[in-house]
Amino acid sequence: MNDVGSHAELDPRRALPFSKAVLPVLRNPQLRKNVAHAIDVIQAKRARLVAEKTDWQALRTAASAIRAHALENLGAYLEQFEERCTAAGGTVHWAADADEARRIILDLLRHEKASEVIKIKTMTSAEIQLNPFLEANGVSAFETDLAEIILQLGEQEPSHIVVPALHVNRSQVREIFARRMGLKNLSDDPKELTNAARTYLRQKFLSIPTAISGANFLIAETGSVAVVESEGNGRMCLTLPRTMITLAGIEKVLPRFQDLEVMLQLLARSATGERMNPYTSLWTGVTAGDGPQSFHVVLLDNGRSSILAKPKQRQTLKCIRCAACMNACPVYRQTGGHPYGSVYPGPIGAILTPQLMQMKFAQSLPYASSLCGACYEVCPVKINIPEVLLELRAQVVNQERRERDRFFDPMYVGLRIANLLFAKAWLFHAAQRLGRIGLGLFTRKDGWIHSLPSIGAKWTQTRDLRGLPDESFHEWWAKRGPQPDKEAK
Amino acid sequence: MSAPLQSRQQILKRIRAATLDCAQDPAMRAEAYAALPRAYTRHGQLSAEARLKLIIERLREYDAEVVESTPAELPSAIKAQLAASGRHCFVAPEGLSGEWLAEGFDWKIDRNLATAEIEQAKGVVTAASCGIADSGTIVLHHSAAEGRRVATLLPDWHLIILRASQVVETLPEYFDRCQQHPGLITWISGPSATADIEMTRIKGVHGPRFLHVILVRDESLTAKNDEETNPDLRLAEAGSTKVR
Repeated sequence: MNDVGSHAELDPRRALPFSKAVLPVLRNPQLRKNVAHAIDVIQAKRARLVAEKTDWQALRTAASAIRAHALENLGAYLEQFEERCTAAGGTVHWAADADEARRIILDLLRHEKASEVIKIKTMTSAEIQLNPFLEANGVSAFETDLAEIILQLGEQEPSHIVVPALHVNRSQVREIFARRMGLKNLSDDPKELTNAARTYLRQKFLSIPTAISGANFLIAETGSVAVVESEGNGRMCLTLPRTMITLAGIEKVLPRFQDLEVMLQLLARSATGERMNPYTSLWTGVTAGDGPQSFHVVLLDNGRSSILAKPKQRQTLKCIRCAACMNACPVYRQTGGHPYGSVYPGPIGAILTPQLMQMKFAQSLPYASSLCGACYEVCPVKINIPEVLLELRAQVVNQERRERDRFFDPMYVGLRIANLLFAKAWLFHAAQRLGRIGLGLFTRKDGWIHSLPSIGAKWTQTRDLRGLPDESFHEWWAKRGPQPDKEAK
Repeated sequence: MSAPLQSRQQILKRIRAATLDCAQDPAMRAEAYAALPRAYTRHGQLSAEARLKLIIERLREYDAEVVESTPAELPSAIKAQLAASGRHCFVAPEGLSGEWLAEGFDWKIDRNLATAEIEQAKGVVTAASCGIADSGTIVLHHSAAEGRRVATLLPDWHLIILRASQVVETLPEYFDRCQQHPGLITWISGPSATADIEMTRIKGVHGPRFLHVILVRDESLTAKNDEETNPDLRLAEAGSTKVR
């Protein structure tokens, strides 16, 4: 029963294409039920709170413009952040890729002689696969967010960026906690499970002097960092340790403190359907007598600057990681997050992951969408995800065209032939007549084609095809001849 | 040049090259920033009375306990809350007003108390900097009366004294009042909670499991008579006796 996604591969370099990775999920009714339940609850809460906000669209417009402006001036704002953060007693590090970020963090931990570290949920650290790297180098990393504990103790992978364990239900959590915390008499009451996690972590909070966090926002104007959370595990990690290391993508910067008045109104409502999440913390370098006295920020590029270089795709980086797009996505609702083969699933993952991989991996993801546009509609920073999906699809097609011996590619040959036929009316009509005879052989009495041979089977295996009508519109029109003008009477 | 410095240069160079199409000098950047669309609601429309009603309703919706009090009755209101909590040992920030420290309880004044000592206390009483009615949020700037972050975090029971004059309706109104940027801020909306197991909201994970608020109807509210924010009522003065 504990097979819920435990074998998910979230490294895009090794993950199966979406259409293949999705098959085990589609055969797992329990997982699909768990995902659908969680999604329905969030969606209903979000819809209610968005509806009560009369200036929602104005907030989206402002947020979109602020994020776009921050990205267009990213260099200047990052330098300003670095200057102000440093002035407040923080240290800023720059990591060009995942490997460098991991090494910077390990060096900092070694300097602290840390063999253990507590962590606030950060998808960016999952992106650079920090935990396995630290384990391999003798540092135990303890996740402190409830969902992350469930995943870490259950040896599972996240399937959502806000509620990473939404694919696991309460009895599965009970089984994991009972086994890993040695609590035989634990019930599956969420309250009791939550209390078990509280007790499990309390000593770790009080005894481990080094913490790692992500960042929701970096404020250029003040050099501050903001972290948005619910449980208080974030506040524990930000307050109790001696040393704090924050890993943040370079795109996370906001120009001014006041910009939070827009972002904080959108983020919680979009993410969890709350007017405001229970806790948001902001800190600026180090404060004497309060919290960690040693503070480091690691700014991570890892492919982001190459996304920035493409004006149409740049909007991908506006993302504030609220996950509204995956909650709204009809594909995600059916599949959950694992088949996306990345720590960033859903529509945003479908555009972010292949770009972070420089289009060398995860090329199947731009196709993991029906292009219905629900993601764009809910996005609080108005990322036009369908537009970017189409752009990426075009790039994938162009890549394949270059890489393959194209005249053996049925799709390429087919489209070239169609191109020829559609260019001349007489050729088109001839093809229609020929097609009518050819397809007529397969058309049943009900007017439908139920099965085709060879590559045509790819269509008819999953759906029927309408047979061609006996007469085309052109033929019917020509036969009909001139008609008396009824309107003129 | 050392490797880290190289990465800094390399990343900034890549970013500059990537944003050549929209390169701006500082003056243009400031102008572009000022021109960003901000058509969202800045100022609330509610009367002072309705604003207070809203924050109470929103706080309660997220499982915070709220009672009202007048300035004169505040010490006895605090005492009643402490007694009703069934707890005895409380942390008080160094700058907390002396008359709030009700007799008959064990007070630990936080002059850099050790974490273990704070952990043993059963509750904490603090002032606040602002209340935001729209989202039921209380903002701490961790001044001397609001306490160090650790003091407002480890005790399981948190009583916040919020003055009516500190309550704004919208989040932008809070930012308008926040003229000087405080280095530390905690926005609190209800007690610690999680919905990580089947999206069932469970109160109390790691932060205080019990959040109590005394809303003090201070004089300035009637004096203000629903006018725009009184410039004399800056947060620092309203929230605490002194700012660290």
